Amino acid sequence: MTSRLIGGLDRLVAAILGAGQWFLLPVVALLFLQWPLRDIVRAWSRDANDLGQWLFALYVAMAFTAATRAHTHLAADALARRYSDGARTWIARLGALLCLLPWASFVMIGGAKLVVSSLGVLEVFPDTYNPGYFVIKLAIWLLSGLILAQIVIDLSRPRGSA
Amino acid sequence: MGYAGLVLLIAVGLGIVLTGLPAAIVLIGAASAGAAFGVVSGAVPFALLSALPGRLVNLLENDLLQALPLYVLMGLLLDRLPVAEALYKTILSILPRGPAAQLVSGMSLGALLGPMNGSVGASALGLSRVVAPRLAAHGVPEPTRAALVAVASTLGVVIPPSLVLILLGDAMLGAHTIAVTATGRSDRVINTQDVFHGALAPAGLFLLLCLAVAWLAGRRLPVAAAAADEKPTTGQVLLAIVSVAFLLVLLGGVALGLFYAVEAAAMGAFILFTGGLVTRRLRGPVLREVLAQAMAMTGALFALLIAATTLTLVLRILGTDKLVADWVTALPGGELATAAIVLGVVGLSAFVLDAFEIIFVIVPIVIPPLLIRVADARWVAVLVLLTLQTSFLLPPFGYALMMVRGTLRYSAPLAALVRALLPFLLAQWLVLATVLLFPQLAHLGEKESDRVRTSPTISREELNRRLDDMLTPIPDFAPPSR
Repeated sequence: MTSRLIGGLDRLVAAILGAGQWFLLPVVALLFLQWPLRDIVRAWSRDANDLGQWLFALYVAMAFTAATRAHTHLAADALARRYSDGARTWIARLGALLCLLPWASFVMIGGAKLVVSSLGVLEVFPDTYNPGYFVIKLAIWLLSGLILAQIVIDLSRPRGSA
Repeated sequence: MGYAGLVLLIAVGLGIVLTGLPAAIVLIGAASAGAAFGVVSGAVPFALLSALPGRLVNLLENDLLQALPLYVLMGLLLDRLPVAEALYKTILSILPRGPAAQLVSGMSLGALLGPMNGSVGASALGLSRVVAPRLAAHGVPEPTRAALVAVASTLGVVIPPSLVLILLGDAMLGAHTIAVTATGRSDRVINTQDVFHGALAPAGLFLLLCLAVAWLAGRRLPVAAAAADEKPTTGQVLLAIVSVAFLLVLLGGVALGLFYAVEAAAMGAFILFTGGLVTRRLRGPVLREVLAQAMAMTGALFALLIAATTLTLVLRILGTDKLVADWVTALPGGELATAAIVLGVVGLSAFVLDAFEIIFVIVPIVIPPLLIRVADARWVAVLVLLTLQTSFLLPPFGYALMMVRGTLRYSAPLAALVRALLPFLLAQWLVLATVLLFPQLAHLGEKESDRVRTSPTISREELNRRLDDMLTPIPDFAPPSR
């Protein structure tokens, strides 16, 4: 039962990240368009920036966990590569449990007031009054939620596969 | 409590080296431990930590940081598209045949690709794929190959508009704002554009020295008889010309202020992406793979930012930044000596931290007080930049060295690599010393009006009071006494 739940959570995280990776393309297009919109068309540059900003926020909020799953986080393992696989697995689990878990939980709970109040009024961008600013604040829940889900997935895996 | 923060910084260094854990996780762990210690000891009110989510939101809405995934995408696209190979062969075709030409072409390719892909890792991957096998075919020894690829992959650090330059520019803006406000100087606060302009001459000088070192190193090698004669096709020459022209447009546009660095990065990524689609090199699974890699690499960089933001908040709450500021403002000697000492600290931290970690963790702590002592922010920015470039190359943990040893499956002794690297490091240090002794090198082409500084005379007590006000993390909060 637990393994099916964990498997489902793993697939859910993979699906979210799989969809989120495409956000980069509109971010590139919108930021590319900013210059001609500002200096040639002389309109909609700020709107392109706002839209690009909340897509960027969602993208990087997901990217942390994407890096964890792809093992691309920067690490200096010149010494640690001499440790046994078992020792490295234990170190990784302790790192997730003692470092990431309390931090992500704190961001999730400590950020609740910020996120809920912004979501409640569907906060707009302060300079342009364009909609969607609340999405940027919501992104910190996406960030911490995905990190917590990945910790659960990693800690539930059998030893040696983490 | 400020000393507790210094203990945390030492713990970060040890944690990264001894555990092999990702630096982001170690930074977050150290920050969590420091926060817990502060709260449990009663020195830090728990409510203060509630500033963290707000600071993370600031990161997510930072305009400048939008450049980060764009550079990562550019690096990955350059690795997939035949641009690097076309550039390499075209440069080679205009040089006399032999190993020296191969080394010079490799170095030149690093200088051309560096600003476009922005990250040392991406440059190292691309150069390892394109340059290293050809150097091997021409009989260039393994340590020389690895040293050349490592050095060439760091050229993007100092040649604008690179990612490290952008991030350092942002960090310098914050540090200079603190210094200008604390001292009451009438300086215009430095921005990313200033760092770009300041870095141009030293970067050019370093590139020339590197090309000379590569040429001399190649001249000592015998010409390999089996080496294939690699002439570029007409298409490759055209592609190389278009790529160089496009790079010059990007560089020129940013240098002239026609568009921002983020927009230049977006243009580069957009054009490369369109090129990939048109040439059908980016279809289906390849595109999905590129996007997945881009997200994972962006996540690695952003995780560092998030972790460093958390740690610097805790260090500020503990009062470590004020402790360091007191030390720096009390250092004996003039501007040169103070700058040299602080750069020495940055250089020492480079033995365990990489450039990104230094920008996010060390720079916000040591540079504001340095800029209070030393008015020339542009000079300081260039010196920090050159020190950061060195940090990528310092054995044994320099990021470029680690990347190259991994991607080239380097098997020769590390000492041989260090020997091959030494002439380049000496060239790097020569440029650093030259800029240190001749600050005007960072000011070539600068408007005279930007150089005017009027510094009102204020007492050290008043300076410390203003600094205290500036460094207080949250209004109405008095940091714990040390």
